[in-house]
Amino acid sequence: MMTDGDQQEALIKRAEDEREDIFRRYDLGLDPNNVVDPWENPKFEIYHITDKYGFMHDSRLPNTRDSQEVQRNKIELERDKKWMKMLSHWPPAPEKLHKRVYKGIPDKVRWSVWKLLLNVDQAMATHKGVYTRMLQLAKKYSTETRQIDADVNRQFRDNLAYRERYSVKQCSLFNVLNAYSIYNSELGYCQGMACVAGVLLLYMHEEEAFWALNALITDKKYGMHGLFIEGFPKLTRFIDHHDRILSKIMRKLHKHFTKHNVDALLYAIKWFFVVFVERVPFSLSLRVWDIFLLDGDRVILSMAITILYLHKDELLRLKDMDAIIEYLQVKLHKNFGYNDDDAVQALERVMKKLKDLKLDQPPPAKSNEFPTRTLGDFVEADFEKKIGRRRNDYTDTEKQVITDVIIRQEQNAGDVQSTMSYETSECATVTLTVPEDTHSLRSSLAGTSVASSETMSLEDNNIHLKTANMLQNTPQRELLGT
Amino acid sequence: MATTPRSGGAAGSGAAQRPNGTSQNKSCQFKLVLLGESAVGKSSLVLRFVKGQFHEYQESTIGAAFLTQTICIEDTVVKFEIWDTAGQERYHSLAPMYYRGAQAAIVVYDIQNQDSFQRAKTWVKELHKQASPNIVIALAGNKADLSNIRVVEFDEAKQYAEENGLLFMETSAKTGMNVNDIFLAIAKKLPKNDGANNQGTSIRPNGNETNRPTNNCCK
Repeated sequence: MMTDGDQQEALIKRAEDEREDIFRRYDLGLDPNNVVDPWENPKFEIYHITDKYGFMHDSRLPNTRDSQEVQRNKIELERDKKWMKMLSHWPPAPEKLHKRVYKGIPDKVRWSVWKLLLNVDQAMATHKGVYTRMLQLAKKYSTETRQIDADVNRQFRDNLAYRERYSVKQCSLFNVLNAYSIYNSELGYCQGMACVAGVLLLYMHEEEAFWALNALITDKKYGMHGLFIEGFPKLTRFIDHHDRILSKIMRKLHKHFTKHNVDALLYAIKWFFVVFVERVPFSLSLRVWDIFLLDGDRVILSMAITILYLHKDELLRLKDMDAIIEYLQVKLHKNFGYNDDDAVQALERVMKKLKDLKLDQPPPAKSNEFPTRTLGDFVEADFEKKIGRRRNDYTDTEKQVITDVIIRQEQNAGDVQSTMSYETSECATVTLTVPEDTHSLRSSLAGTSVASSETMSLEDNNIHLKTANMLQNTPQRELLGT
Repeated sequence: MATTPRSGGAAGSGAAQRPNGTSQNKSCQFKLVLLGESAVGKSSLVLRFVKGQFHEYQESTIGAAFLTQTICIEDTVVKFEIWDTAGQERYHSLAPMYYRGAQAAIVVYDIQNQDSFQRAKTWVKELHKQASPNIVIALAGNKADLSNIRVVEFDEAKQYAEENGLLFMETSAKTGMNVNDIFLAIAKKLPKNDGANNQGTSIRPNGNETNRPTNNCCK
């Protein structure tokens, strides 16, 4: 039995210990041996700076939601219900699905819907045990592990899911990419894939993400194999088509880019390889992904045009290659200047215009854009690859890429010359007619009068969008005024 | 001081000069490319040099990034147009697009990683073979803040650099060590007054209009 005196002594001892402990901590200061509870550190601030997707921002998010956000949340709640109903009667009528996807898949059902659009459950059912086997093989034979490790260590570290080194999602990302490098041994691993798989894993489990990634890479509808494979055949094909579109419907901007040496290869690689993630705000890139998963790779070309279209006035004002590239690579990621709904509406209009102008489809893919080896057949890597040594010579594919790239550069340099003389003569005309891009749009479409007037209407709509959006917090009614 | 605008070089003709010395400063513009294995710190070096920042988790570069920075050496304003490339082998075939016409290159390796040093050597070899003959090449042994766990010895790299006519420094994008210095050393070595370097291909005939030098670079 403890006497009162004993009890008192124990309490005193406890208080002393506590005090001693507190002093000891202050003595240790910033010493790494000083164990600090996570909540004590400002990094717990993360809950105030983390958005609904888990991304952390530089500053504290506003305490209260603005009226627009409240409104959006209300709409999204309504949509949740509609989508739940639609999911229980899958597949819906295509028109209905189209309409709803373009309005944005609610975040809550994105997991289910993405899986359906990519046939993930089906793939898993027909390939039982394959993922586990690939992962086991990867542990023994993957030659891409070092590169994957380096990339996992820096992919989405500003997102809670990937924040902590060796977190569950980091490990999943590492596993999926390694396993995939074995499954599609011809492709292996290409930088960019970590970003794609990283987005999928924000919504899916490991094995699901593996099959979703495989669908994006090997399904003809998305065909990312051709983007990531050595020589990037699809990149070249898409860039050429992108240029073709620009030169036809945004001639002034195209000339402006050519004049300032802004080759589409410089800004569009990342756009195409990771479908605009980290180049537009994350919420908008998800909306583009929704549409990409529904309608396939032509969405990528249309979105590229949409971005340039929405920002062409600003881009035309920039008189330096670095300013233009900075605008496209950095500024638009931080602030797109249009809200997601407006951007997607513009995308939809651009898609329609391109279709009307028969510019929506690039030339067909060649066979080198798709896997030639049977997926899942294990092929042991050659010695050089195993030890990660660079071959001394370029492969034939690489040589072809280099030749193409150089021809492209020289072509562009030639265009600069002709642009210069053209612009000098154009100056006089422009002052006499409609200023700015309207002129070049109209003249570029001369001969196709129907198309021309339609393009003009697209322009008209945008004028309203733009006025509303230059001021971020403009009330909704201005937008509805169109 | 009267100056001669550079002519011909990739970005050289962009050295807009007011004729006959109305400006105090000479100015020139150089295209510089960063090459090296993945994750050795190419983007981080550029970020440190251009923005004075360091991100522990610098995102991996897809394709390439482009930034510029202007520095002053004595009476000359030097503008670097910096091409920061993707390091993965897969992207190698795009590299010529960036180093063609470049007047300078920084080949980066990680002092903790022997393979990355070997890779740097193959880049140097390729530049000697394929790039402009007058290209100024600097070798940067990055992550020097981790020199206690280094694998590539300073002397080994220095000797290699000397044998191959390269500038050499160990750098740390994290602490900033030698980062400005390596760019400065390159700038000093680049010819400021000659029009001979005409290997460039991405010619800017309109340089006078677009590339006006900043007048207050020594702020």
